Amino acid sequence: MFEKVLIANRGEIALRIHRACRDMGIKTVAVHSTADANAMNVRLADESVCIGPPPARASYLNIPSILSAATITGADAIHPGIGFLSENADFADVVLEHGFAFIGPKPDHIRVMGDKVRAKAAARELGMPTVPGSAGMLRNADEAIEAARAIGYPVLLKAVSGGGGRGMKLAHNDTDLRTLLPLAQAEAQAAFGDDSVYLERFLDRPRHIEIQLIGDGRGAVVHLGERDCSLQRHHQKILEETPSPGLDPAVRERIAGIAVNALEKLGYQSAGTIEFLYQDGEFYFIEMNTRLQVEHPISEMVSGIDLVREQLRIAAGAPLGYRQSDIQLRGHAIECRINAENPEDFRPSPGRISEYHAPGGPGIRVDSGLYQGYEVPPYYDSLISKLIVYGGDRDECLMRLRRALEEYVIGGIETTIPLHQRLAHAADFQRGAYDIGWLERFLGH
Amino acid sequence: MKLGGRRPPLAPDPDLIRSLAKLLDETGLTEIECSAGDQRIRVSRQAAAPAGAISAPAAAEKLAPPPAASNGAGHPGANGHDQPGTLKAPLVGIAYLAAEPGQPPYVRVGDTVAEGQTLMIIEAMKVMNQIRAPRAGKVSRVYISDSEPVEYGTALMLIE
Repeated sequence: MFEKVLIANRGEIALRIHRACRDMGIKTVAVHSTADANAMNVRLADESVCIGPPPARASYLNIPSILSAATITGADAIHPGIGFLSENADFADVVLEHGFAFIGPKPDHIRVMGDKVRAKAAARELGMPTVPGSAGMLRNADEAIEAARAIGYPVLLKAVSGGGGRGMKLAHNDTDLRTLLPLAQAEAQAAFGDDSVYLERFLDRPRHIEIQLIGDGRGAVVHLGERDCSLQRHHQKILEETPSPGLDPAVRERIAGIAVNALEKLGYQSAGTIEFLYQDGEFYFIEMNTRLQVEHPISEMVSGIDLVREQLRIAAGAPLGYRQSDIQLRGHAIECRINAENPEDFRPSPGRISEYHAPGGPGIRVDSGLYQGYEVPPYYDSLISKLIVYGGDRDECLMRLRRALEEYVIGGIETTIPLHQRLAHAADFQRGAYDIGWLERFLGH
Repeated sequence: MKLGGRRPPLAPDPDLIRSLAKLLDETGLTEIECSAGDQRIRVSRQAAAPAGAISAPAAAEKLAPPPAASNGAGHPGANGHDQPGTLKAPLVGIAYLAAEPGQPPYVRVGDTVAEGQTLMIIEAMKVMNQIRAPRAGKVSRVYISDSEPVEYGTALMLIE
């Protein structure tokens, strides 16, 4: 097993990885920007190295500085966390070339799944159902219109190199498409440095269902069930739950089986998630995330498996060591993403935490680096805490969620706790009757 | 920078620190630094925020005290030095004061340097990056020793 792991990330996920390492007796190295010198993950780490100024491209995306920090601290492995360099195949390559272990998938798998057009082709080859779409990138409006007519309107324009909902445009007819194509291309260029876009059929009321998987790189793969991440605003997930209130056991078995088979064929290594849209009993592959995900804790709560520990074990060369039949999924878990934002207009709200009290008691887990006196920096994303609640069934989980949200105090800044309180009492949410458009309708967008 | 793995931790010698602190009072100096081998002790009056100034939920005594300022152009170097003319490390790596082991250093305290003159090398990913003088002046302090790992923002030298 590794002796010292460098965590190339920040915020709650860096702390989450630190905790898994320390649970296994592994020393940690925190790398951080000048803006994060006081962050909890930096203060708790065995060693820390400042790698640059606040802008991420000069610090958390600065590959030479991160590798230098690994060298001067004598780390033997690097965990990329979530976001930043976690899905950068070139980073994974260069980490391995420098003699460090990369705690994540094989670089080639990151590369294929990071390119949406290639990923979709790979998914089809691996036996996964996909949304009807254009075969490749679109060169001009005529080509787009021809593809859209074959697929059937409405269609969604998406960036080939994209993610996180940026660069997406919805077209209902030829005129829309002609207008929106250059906009989508310009947005894709601005956000990802690549103006390639493609088309997909737009589903009007799907659920977002994703399957959590773990593979050991030698063909053994298991799943930890699904997560329902349909509660989204501007394509950003707000609240996730497992199991999904919209799936019955037979449907769950079918899609999980398809996902496991696909990754067995691939020889996938480490934790990964396959995301699907689900409507009218059919699943459509959206993308595969070749990394840990923000909402991974709810799968940990119902399975009892520590996903980061599994990533560390597998990166160190250990076999999976258990089979699907050894995994028992029990109870229900919900995660609320708490952001430093105004709960109504979602304006960012960085600043000093004047008081802090985290909820506790049975079935509560809080993944957060917040503490009283901590200054939430304005440079990074606004996720400051994840409240994860477990119950023996969905009703118990919902009651406990309301109780935990009443207890949680974060003073000095605005947070999305009031939004989660509204959600926890919303009738549709209580019934589990929601799709990916529901939250925006609820908020009156 | 907190570094734990490479070098033995400096064993604090209370008597030495007490005598240095006394010397500080007697002489009216603000800072005394002495070194023996690769161990260095610096006693300074301009101490940053006391360790207990920021409360932490757990294991507070295990936590490193946070620096007084967390960001912005005027923040002190990672090793606490902050005076006009302080040259800070622009990247993470190993700092070398001489071109090769055994060679004389590029510059010594008291030297006058020209703008653009090479002051040291920082090795990052097997690339030797020359650190040049941002302006002409006199080297009045060298804060680091040869082959020392430095992080972004570590104060390297004072050029007045």
